[in-house]
Amino acid sequence: MNFEAVIGIEIHVEMKTKSKMFSSAPVEFGAEPNTLVNPVDIAFPGTMPVVNKQAVINAIRVSNALHMSIDNELWFDRKNYFYADLPKGFQITQDKRPIGRNGYVTIKTESGEKKIEIERLHMEEDTCKQLHLSTYSLLDYNRAGTPLVEIVSRPNIRSGEEAMKYVEQIKSIVQYTDVSDGKMEEGSLRCDVNISLRPIGSDKFGTKVEIKNLNSLSNVEKAIEFEIIRQQQLLLAGIPVDQETRRFDETRKETVLMRKKTDAVDYKYFTEPNITPIRLSEGFIKNAIDTCPELASSKKERYMNVLSLSEYDADILLQDKDVSIYFDAATKFKANPKLLANWIMVDIAAYLNKNNMSITALKLSPEHLSDLVMLIEEGKISSKQAKEVFAQVVESDESPIEVANKLGLVQVSDEGAIRELVLEALNENPQSIEDYKNGKDRAVGFLVGQVMKKSHGKANPAMTSKMIVEELKKR
Amino acid sequence: MKAINKEVLKDAASRLMFDMSEEQYDTLEKEFDIMIKQMKLIGEIPGVDEVEPMTFPFDVATDYLREDEVEETLSKDEVLKNAKDVVDGQIKLPKVVG
Repeated sequence: MNFEAVIGIEIHVEMKTKSKMFSSAPVEFGAEPNTLVNPVDIAFPGTMPVVNKQAVINAIRVSNALHMSIDNELWFDRKNYFYADLPKGFQITQDKRPIGRNGYVTIKTESGEKKIEIERLHMEEDTCKQLHLSTYSLLDYNRAGTPLVEIVSRPNIRSGEEAMKYVEQIKSIVQYTDVSDGKMEEGSLRCDVNISLRPIGSDKFGTKVEIKNLNSLSNVEKAIEFEIIRQQQLLLAGIPVDQETRRFDETRKETVLMRKKTDAVDYKYFTEPNITPIRLSEGFIKNAIDTCPELASSKKERYMNVLSLSEYDADILLQDKDVSIYFDAATKFKANPKLLANWIMVDIAAYLNKNNMSITALKLSPEHLSDLVMLIEEGKISSKQAKEVFAQVVESDESPIEVANKLGLVQVSDEGAIRELVLEALNENPQSIEDYKNGKDRAVGFLVGQVMKKSHGKANPAMTSKMIVEELKKR
Repeated sequence: MKAINKEVLKDAASRLMFDMSEEQYDTLEKEFDIMIKQMKLIGEIPGVDEVEPMTFPFDVATDYLREDEVEETLSKDEVLKNAKDVVDGQIKLPKVVG
């Protein structure tokens, strides 16, 4: 029997707002435990939640990027459960009226484009962080109340590859909209996968298994591929799949059981009485969208259609948001975008790689990169010499023009000066003139070499060569 | 509507991880009985089915959102003041997951 996988994904994204979802305590990663806490976060009696404006703006921007319809009224609900990570005994979330509904993203896989439908996007608060040690657990409330958006796909993902591409797209969107760092390894983008199998052609769902703790894109793909095979083997052997939660074990490259699921937990959702409905005006929503930083998809179009980059180059520049910001900054100056892109993708990438650095830590400013490229474009230095200049300016951000001068690299492109040297070389080498007249083109190369020698390598080779031919024709 | 009997109450208590004395269950069962009778009275009012359920006592909406600005936080000592056991500036709990 042939099976198909039915996969849905829930993604939690930590926003990088200054303050928390419902309190004005700071949001920060890696601070001393329990120092970023105010009375709202630890549920002191009498405290009231007040909704963070930027968190709402962020949720609108992501909803818009995911082509969702956006609710013009905010409603929050209580999700009740009793656990130490939740000081209030409930989490404030959006259950009945999520801010975003019915969207999609388009992914590109080996077999073409596919629309992945998204059911909902809602805002909620993060729980506190628990550290489980061998005999006890520790609680740090710094994370309690951090604004989150949760994005829930419909179950129309069919493979590990599709799932990975989908998460990659969401990650790109939250990063480019400046909503989140989207770092899976640090937990600012967390993803849970629901997966079941069914015979191809069936429209019923099989028993679903949830996979948690997927901390990288490649683990999303690997965990799903493993799980599809595991469930398929069970079904083919006539063993039912149990409803359970599993996690991906990175070293064993397989999913392992965390807990069996018994009856579904009833969270007793009800409307949060401490937050009255909040009306979002058309102007507020429009402004949030209009001021949203440019998305990768729109940048890609611009790179290809306005700056004439190839799709391949555009994709490489857009893999890292910070690289695309650097490129955008460099294109504000005079140099040719295609050449700038090459320098960023080849020389700068190699330098960053070698030094294990991010482009945000690069000393060389986008303006000076543009200056360096201009030196080549204007024929003042050769590409080879530019590498020499680059090696120095990349460490210091000195002006490339000054460095080229200091290294004595700037080519002489002064026509008068070059012509003088050309005439000198011709006068000194009558044999070459004779050779040229007898059809030996090699003579030109020899004469260029002579001029180079006289100019200590600084004469512009293209101009020199052209001028020698001109002068030879006169004789 | 589901009948509220002692069995239902015991199941609810167990899910919420607490228990009560038989006497308390009796009292609670009686109280529910009274409440349900009162609800029935309301149910007899004509046209009550057509009334939209309300979450707030009156129709109210605001447009206030808090600016994303950081204000004062509690000191670490204050945060941990009510905790019985503190290790490395964190609240220590018995381990409940494997």
